[in-house]
Amino acid sequence: MLAGGLVAGQRVLADSTTDAINELKQQIQELDQKVRILERQKELDTEAADAKAKDTPRITVGSSGLSVGSADSNFVFQLHGQVQVDTRTFFNDRDNHGHSIQGNDTFLLRRARPIFSGTVYRDFDFMFVPDFAGSSPQIFDAYLNYRYAPWLQVRAGKFKTPVGLEQLQADQYTFFNERSLATDLVPNRDIGFQLWGDVGSGRLSYAAGVFNGVADGRNSGNSDFEDHREFAGRIFLQPFKTTSLTALQNLGFGVGGSWGNTFSNATGLPSAFLTDGQQQLFAYTNGVVASGEHWRLSPQGYYYYGPFGLLGEYVISNQKVAKGSSSATLNNTAWQIAAGWVLTGEDATYAGVTPRHPFDPRSNQWGAVQVVARYAELNIDNNTFPTYANPATSASGAEAWAVGLNWYLNKSIRVNASYSRTTFDGNINPKAATVVRQPEEVVFTRVQLAF
Amino acid sequence: MKTFLKFFSLLIAALLMNSAYAKDITLLNVSYDPTRELYREVNTAFAREWKAKTGDTVSIQQSHGGSGKQARSVIDGLEADVVTLALAYDIDAIAEKGKLIAPDWQKRLPDNSTPYTSTIVFLVRKGNPKGIKDWDDLIKPGVKVVTPNPKTSGGARWNYLAAWGYALKKNNNDQAKAKDFVTRLFRNVPILESGARGATTTFVQRGIGDVLIAWENETLLSLKESGADKFELITPSVSILAEPPVAWVDKIAKRHGTEEVAKAYLNFLYSPEGQEIAAKNFYRPRAQAVAQKYADKFPKLALFTVDEVFGGWQKAQKTHFDNDGIFDQIQADNR
Repeated sequence: MLAGGLVAGQRVLADSTTDAINELKQQIQELDQKVRILERQKELDTEAADAKAKDTPRITVGSSGLSVGSADSNFVFQLHGQVQVDTRTFFNDRDNHGHSIQGNDTFLLRRARPIFSGTVYRDFDFMFVPDFAGSSPQIFDAYLNYRYAPWLQVRAGKFKTPVGLEQLQADQYTFFNERSLATDLVPNRDIGFQLWGDVGSGRLSYAAGVFNGVADGRNSGNSDFEDHREFAGRIFLQPFKTTSLTALQNLGFGVGGSWGNTFSNATGLPSAFLTDGQQQLFAYTNGVVASGEHWRLSPQGYYYYGPFGLLGEYVISNQKVAKGSSSATLNNTAWQIAAGWVLTGEDATYAGVTPRHPFDPRSNQWGAVQVVARYAELNIDNNTFPTYANPATSASGAEAWAVGLNWYLNKSIRVNASYSRTTFDGNINPKAATVVRQPEEVVFTRVQLAF
Repeated sequence: MKTFLKFFSLLIAALLMNSAYAKDITLLNVSYDPTRELYREVNTAFAREWKAKTGDTVSIQQSHGGSGKQARSVIDGLEADVVTLALAYDIDAIAEKGKLIAPDWQKRLPDNSTPYTSTIVFLVRKGNPKGIKDWDDLIKPGVKVVTPNPKTSGGARWNYLAAWGYALKKNNNDQAKAKDFVTRLFRNVPILESGARGATTTFVQRGIGDVLIAWENETLLSLKESGADKFELITPSVSILAEPPVAWVDKIAKRHGTEEVAKAYLNFLYSPEGQEIAAKNFYRPRAQAVAQKYADKFPKLALFTVDEVFGGWQKAQKTHFDNDGIFDQIQADNR
């Protein structure tokens, strides 16, 4: 009986132990499920967060402005800006009465441009640049660009005509406040269509377009008043750009040019050629009109290596003009060579200087400093005088040299000062002429914000 | 002039000769989650047939994901020559929102453009430890159900509607009771995967859950690949006739110059060989002869269609799956 009781007791004990083990097993299984579910839920949450991040529009603000873009970068809107506050101070300038020329020493808002650019539907880029610095707002750039590939792009609208090297350089990166005498002979912005591209990662750049046609050194209005168009093109080579020859990587050379027929004074001839100080050194006399073929040719090149930068171009502008029954083909030429050296050692480039140590006096950082120098000449065709221009008041040539100091506080802010001296050629009558009766000497300063 | 004519004639002859050469054609088939294996086999067979027929080499690329997400991708610019999705609503969306497919697309191919069908069944672990036999067992406390998210997965919408249709039949078409049933079912769903294949992986490989609600073809494939010693297929008493449709994407195929081959590709699915491949990959074939040949593979059960119970996909989508629809309400109730 006792044995039976013991056996029964052992069975009860065994049963309760088995039940406990089964219960524990079940608890472990449930806990295992919970852990697995939590782990997977965490993975799903991470996947969802990653997916959401991929779909979230990207907003960036920095030295390159404000950029808002869709997650896939197919739609991007960028806001940039450029403000240039200049001073010009002229020395030894006397008018034909012996008085100091009035009105040319000035504080000047040279450029004040909000720059809107971006991309829509991945391959279509746009740019819109108004300028509020003049007496009235003007549209400088307004174009749409289709990018099939870097080597095949089409641009339509108002933009820089592909001829002059310094003209094509962005305003904020030029060595001096004002472009050289060579730029007097190349077109500025014009309205038209252009096929262009960078082949071989920029080893070859090409551009070919058809435009309304503008006079030397002039910007286009928003429409044209004559039927003839102008063709312009440019080829620029940087053959060593992608090689390991670092000393030659930023050697670039090429040629730009244009050809067209112009028969209108409204758009065909420049109102004036300007000095470095933006004063008139030459003007056609009343009644002179563009009267046919006009072509330009501009071999050009630059070389940048380390802190050293060198840029040069030569321009021929050949144009048929008429006055009454007289006509002539005038061949004007200009050239310039400019060089810079970054004293603080940063690399000089066609796209400016980026300080290694942006201005921060508290950290004893002072930005980058560059010295620059330039020499330029402009030669007006001798046949221009006296029928088409007044030799007493217009120079037949000019030679300008300039030196300057550029202080790059950071990527966006630059302060610079320069001195320029321009001498004039020709049979100028000091009693009739104002600007060109003596050499122009001018000191420029600029405070520039560009982002 | 003679020289020019000679040159011109040679040029034309060269162009004609060039056009007579065999072409290399690429198609993109944008499909839903579990069709990877099916279309891998279909693509090989079709390419072989097309090569024999025309001499052209056709290469078919596949893209897979949740059906709703795939449709969205096509609308957003994924250049699909053909779409083979989980449900007609997703192709309707491409036709309506993307304007890429003719509105009457479903009438262009036989059987409402669904060359094969499937249904919704259960996969449970070997031995069926939770004793699951029918839909009612899925709402019992403690049963963990794996099904994907109906907002992103076509398969999940079929699962949801199958459960809803069962509850309606059981409760004399009482919509409130059906909603309560499905609410309780989703209360037992611990995580929502975005696609049917993800849900299968979660159940089969990660060992999560007691029962997977899935396409019949997906469960049969899991049994084949993982072995019958690990899982069991449970056929409920009632389920839904799932009709995954196919269509060529008119605008894209036209732009790619692939319209002819895209149509031929989809028609191939209806051919005896295409139907055989579908059956071998556990899709129910439409062709009677093939269906009879593979009859023992597919359990018999009562099937209802979306049109019969829900008035079509447009209505079902709007009522149940659109934002603030019944599924959103169910999820809110279960939080």
